[in-house]
Amino acid sequence: MEKTVYIRMRNRVQTRAKETIYLKDAAQIIADDSVLSKLQQIIIHKLTEKDGNIVVIDVMKVIQLISSRFRDVEVQTIGPAQTIIEIVSKEKGVSVPFFLLIWFLLFFGSALTLMNFHDDVSMKSVQEKIYTIITGKRETKPLLFQIPYSIGLGLGMILFFNHVFKKRINDEPSPLEVEMFNYQMDLDNYVIVNENKESMKRVHDD
Amino acid sequence: MTIKIVIIIFLGFASGLAVGSGFVAFLTVLGIIPRLTQLSKTMKMIQSYEWAVVIGALTGVLASLRDPNLNLSPYLLIPLGLTGGVYIGMLAAGLSEALNVFPILAKRIRLDGKIMILIMAIVFGKIFGSIFQWLYFVHH
Repeated sequence: MEKTVYIRMRNRVQTRAKETIYLKDAAQIIADDSVLSKLQQIIIHKLTEKDGNIVVIDVMKVIQLISSRFRDVEVQTIGPAQTIIEIVSKEKGVSVPFFLLIWFLLFFGSALTLMNFHDDVSMKSVQEKIYTIITGKRETKPLLFQIPYSIGLGLGMILFFNHVFKKRINDEPSPLEVEMFNYQMDLDNYVIVNENKESMKRVHDD
Repeated sequence: MTIKIVIIIFLGFASGLAVGSGFVAFLTVLGIIPRLTQLSKTMKMIQSYEWAVVIGALTGVLASLRDPNLNLSPYLLIPLGLTGGVYIGMLAAGLSEALNVFPILAKRIRLDGKIMILIMAIVFGKIFGSIFQWLYFVHH
């Protein structure tokens, strides 16, 4: 009688260089106990130097490997059709001068952008006008408005990125985390199509 | 004469319509209101937030076109400045977030975990730029 094996490919596997990838690393498996341990030990890929740092394992390859070994097994796949194997080299520390340079770049760049923005939208004359509307007096240095405004500016950015109140208010992801996730998904999608030799095929008709 | 007045009214109405819808579209893209409701868990009040934006915009129109004079205490400017600043800050954050700068930056310099430090650089840069401008730059 045919036994059914359920396979769900993992989205992403992180491993070190020159390791052997077994099926249990790349996928979740549900199967009869008699075949489960053999299934788990199937080698689906041996990482070599020329693999680069990303390898895509297609579910078709996995099915082919399983069916070549077990005649009486029917494979059912669920979920993603491929696993991305990412080879992480040993964590390189961030170089401090490089980091400081970028920090200062961002710092000064934002300061400059904001000043350009204020100039662009005539922020000065608007603020003077607000001062005149509220108090009835003219003032070329409405610092009473400008200083709280400047502090509020930073506060607003922090509020948007949910930095300070992270755990206190709620544990929904911040827009930044969602944005990072989306970017990673885009990269993954690109890799799935471009690193996977089987996913693109040119049929010449000339 | 009448036709001129009608044309002027029509033109004024049309430009107001364009500017107003543009403002709302801009606000929607930057996602400030959803963000605020998410932080405060006040999804049900979203309709009154819409009205706050509309009434605020109309107050701005009145203030800039009619030059009113309220003769109030100058200390009222402190909360006004603070809230105005928070709003512009969220606008700037929403904009830089919409431009997709941070994820790419974090990937490039392998700083996925410590991206908040970079955001703080931008935040402090903005505060510094603003205070520097008002205290020194505009008077020289």
